Amino acid sequence: MSAKGSAVRVAMADIQVLRKSGQLTCLGLGSGISLCGFDPVTSVAGMVQIMLPTAFQGKDLEKPGKFADTGVPALIEAMTRVGADQDRILFAMAGGAQIFRFNSAESKLDIGSRNAQATLEAVQAQGLQVVAQDTGGDVARTATFDLESGIFAVRTVTAGEKTLCNLRG
Amino acid sequence: MQLEGMNGLMSVNTLTLEDIVAKTSDLPSLPAAALAVMRETDSPTGTAQSIARYLMQDQALTARILRLANSAYYGLARQIMDVSDAVVVLGMRCIRNLCMVASTYPWMIKPLKGYGLGPREMWTHSFAVAVGAQLVANRSRSSISDQAFTAGLLHNLGKVALSIWLEDKLAGMLSIACREGMTFDQVERKILGFDHCEVGAHMGEVWNLPKPLVEAMRFHHNPNACDPHNPLVDCVHVADYLSMSMGLGLGGDGLRYDFQEEALLRLGLTPESFDELAEEFMISYEQHEKLFEDAA
Repeated sequence: MSAKGSAVRVAMADIQVLRKSGQLTCLGLGSGISLCGFDPVTSVAGMVQIMLPTAFQGKDLEKPGKFADTGVPALIEAMTRVGADQDRILFAMAGGAQIFRFNSAESKLDIGSRNAQATLEAVQAQGLQVVAQDTGGDVARTATFDLESGIFAVRTVTAGEKTLCNLRG
Repeated sequence: MQLEGMNGLMSVNTLTLEDIVAKTSDLPSLPAAALAVMRETDSPTGTAQSIARYLMQDQALTARILRLANSAYYGLARQIMDVSDAVVVLGMRCIRNLCMVASTYPWMIKPLKGYGLGPREMWTHSFAVAVGAQLVANRSRSSISDQAFTAGLLHNLGKVALSIWLEDKLAGMLSIACREGMTFDQVERKILGFDHCEVGAHMGEVWNLPKPLVEAMRFHHNPNACDPHNPLVDCVHVADYLSMSMGLGLGGDGLRYDFQEEALLRLGLTPESFDELAEEFMISYEQHEKLFEDAA
């Protein structure tokens, strides 16, 4: 299920929502996270590309999708605005790669795993859950969600494309 | 299948670094005018007039620079009609960067199959590292921001030459990297005897680029090995990590490289400030990217 030419591209810090049909895709994720939410009853899907774990205090928040702690509520709000029921939204996520090797144990530099952790926590803080994830490692990923089939797929150069889960159940 | 891959890998290990550069067809080059502009802007005697004079010797480069200078990005009230005007209005440092961009863009947008890079992905990454290196240099209050931009733009030059030799070998190389716990540049050295950093540095020497720039190409994955330490190398190393993290032009080698924290510390930056640096980098990249929507 490769992303079609007509797939809606979700760029860095971007949030996109679709209803009924179409595809959402995040291309070439590094440490960023593609978080996809889906309400199978209303067929409303949303995707955000989260780049950093936490928004900075006292700074203007131009793009809430940039951070896990602001991106997750913003994604849910964007989806409920077009008919999704928050309690039914299921999530899948991919990305959060990290540089292969640090020569120190300094975890602040490890944006990938901090992004993945912060995203999980932000979803859980909304009383919701991530049903499947493909995170970590040092490979670039492309994540695609197809509304009609409900398939969330992840493609890498090494493993090709694999279906991570079906959010239609 | 894996054996075939390995045999294929072994067939390239008889090549020398010089062979790679000599035998690769369609190797990129920097126009003489671009090299002259770089020298002039680095020189204390360089003037707007001398830079314009060099640029005017290359009509194709001049046309491209004028197109960039008149792009919506700069939002100038009047149209710039010639390079002398462009140098005066935009300044020598800006013209230097435009000149480098105009010279490298045509060959950097080509796909590099050997590294799993599609059309424009090499450009995206190189340009991101250029913008990032300039930002890191500014943040470290260094006076090398223009050189940092150029060093970032050219840091992966070696990949352009090596790519053709590594086509169909990427999967085998990644398999070795995973099996033996190696970075991708270590696998290049194991298979070829040299890596894309050394190939790029060799090309930089052939082009007669300034030594600090050549060092940035040679040591961008191992800045601690550069003796004495070169802030240009450190800026490119940090910017490369930022660009990889943000997924800008990642190829099959992905993030399979080392990050040496000492580079950050030598620049007076801290791991604690890294997230803010990353955000600033994203903003800066998006601003600069607009310029080159017009350059295509």
